[in-house]
Amino acid sequence: MNTEAEEKLDLFKGNPEYAAKPKPALVKTGPAVYLAVDGVGSPDGAAFGEAIGALYGTAFTIKMTRKFAGLGDYAVSKLEALWPEMNGNPGADKTQWKWTVMIRTPEFVTAGDLTKAANVLSKRGKGAGVNKVRLMRINEGLCVQALHVGPYDQECRTVAAMKDFAGQHRLRFAGAHHEIYLSDPRRVEPAKLKTILREPVRKG
Amino acid sequence: MKTVTLGDYKRRMLQVLVHIQQHLDEPLPLEELAGVACFSPYHFHRVFKGMVGEPVKEYVRRLRLERAAQRLKLSPASVIDIALDAGYESHEAFTRSFKSAFGMAPSQFRMARGVRFARVPSGVHYCEPPSKRFRTLSRGGRMRVEIKTLKPMRVAFMRHTGPYDEVGKAWDLLLTVMGKEGYLGGNPMMLGICHDDPEVTPPAMIRYDACLTVDDGFVPSGEIGVQTVAGGEYAVTTHTGPYNQLGKIYAEFLGQWLPRSGRELGNSPCFEVYVNDPGSTPAEELMTDIYAPLREQEAVR
Repeated sequence: MNTEAEEKLDLFKGNPEYAAKPKPALVKTGPAVYLAVDGVGSPDGAAFGEAIGALYGTAFTIKMTRKFAGLGDYAVSKLEALWPEMNGNPGADKTQWKWTVMIRTPEFVTAGDLTKAANVLSKRGKGAGVNKVRLMRINEGLCVQALHVGPYDQECRTVAAMKDFAGQHRLRFAGAHHEIYLSDPRRVEPAKLKTILREPVRKG
Repeated sequence: MKTVTLGDYKRRMLQVLVHIQQHLDEPLPLEELAGVACFSPYHFHRVFKGMVGEPVKEYVRRLRLERAAQRLKLSPASVIDIALDAGYESHEAFTRSFKSAFGMAPSQFRMARGVRFARVPSGVHYCEPPSKRFRTLSRGGRMRVEIKTLKPMRVAFMRHTGPYDEVGKAWDLLLTVMGKEGYLGGNPMMLGICHDDPEVTPPAMIRYDACLTVDDGFVPSGEIGVQTVAGGEYAVTTHTGPYNQLGKIYAEFLGQWLPRSGRELGNSPCFEVYVNDPGSTPAEELMTDIYAPLREQEAVR
């Protein structure tokens, strides 16, 4: 098998759904499958961190298990999250924030792949949170999207610009606030963090 | 605490430069050069390149050619004799090297007037007696470096022997085999230990270990072995950019930052920690932490 000539599947790179610029724009998104963990709590808290660890552990275990079995290779996508209350009034108490952290996954990944990965991780003693990982399919359809550069707690300015933009197009926000993390907050200074913000919209 | 100064480093490197010039007829292996001034052989080539601005091998080759150039001017010896003295086995090979260094063939050079050696970063050229000073580069002196104390780390590893740009194969195999067994859970570290310098060792002989941190439960099997990365103090700097720029960063780190740091390197190889996934990160955003082992500081009696 000539693996080097084989083009590796990459759901992120070159995908127009992820080509955001600082100026808000409309983007049409299709159905997408994710590995996801739902939770409540501050993004600085332990539950959020555990969920991300469980997601990455599961994502890489599934990828490598399939690759080892000769089922093809693909790139593990960026971390994303839904914040259902964030484009309305999330409240000042971060410990009550609801979120779904997720990693986009090729459609051929099955519930069986997920169960197998959770089992093998648990057997290794690396199973913290893996039983909360689920496969999720969403279809956001038409969205307003913009690239936010800067700290997460200054997103409101970018969201306001997106709301104005939606209004100019006679559209309104109609779904969970969606964030796609292009930078690693542990290693990139807050002023340089890049995050794609996405808001599903409907007419009216 | 007893600390070493930039002056100490320069004095020791100068000893090496003088030794090179006085032994141009000998093979001058790296271990010997490192030993001349008590540099750790693991890191000597990078310290040299960073301080002097040229790889050791290049430097030695250049000095041999410059000595040959001087002999062409000052002695009646035949070109072939001078070529042999410079370590070349044929007239042709010598002429080729000579031309690329001085822009003309040895016979033309002999007749030409007022030729000069090309500028080099260190400012050191062949002369009798050997030069007693050299220019050190300082760019890397301003790098952001952190001193970290590590506990010993147990790592599963796969050895790659061959060109550095093919280490991806070892990674592919290691991560696939370890990944399906669940060892990629719990956010393990991915380390690369390069036992040889791609700029010194022939590509086919470069030894590189692709390593993944594991706990005591891991049992090595097949091509995957286990080793322990020594604990202790390390100087750590982060490179953001393509992996093929690492050679330059190592040279600045060990040859320019280190001599100004008051510290010396320990007798074990450096290692790299890959912070993000090369499978999904653009080359210019790749982050690599370079860990250089430090020798324990001696207490002053």
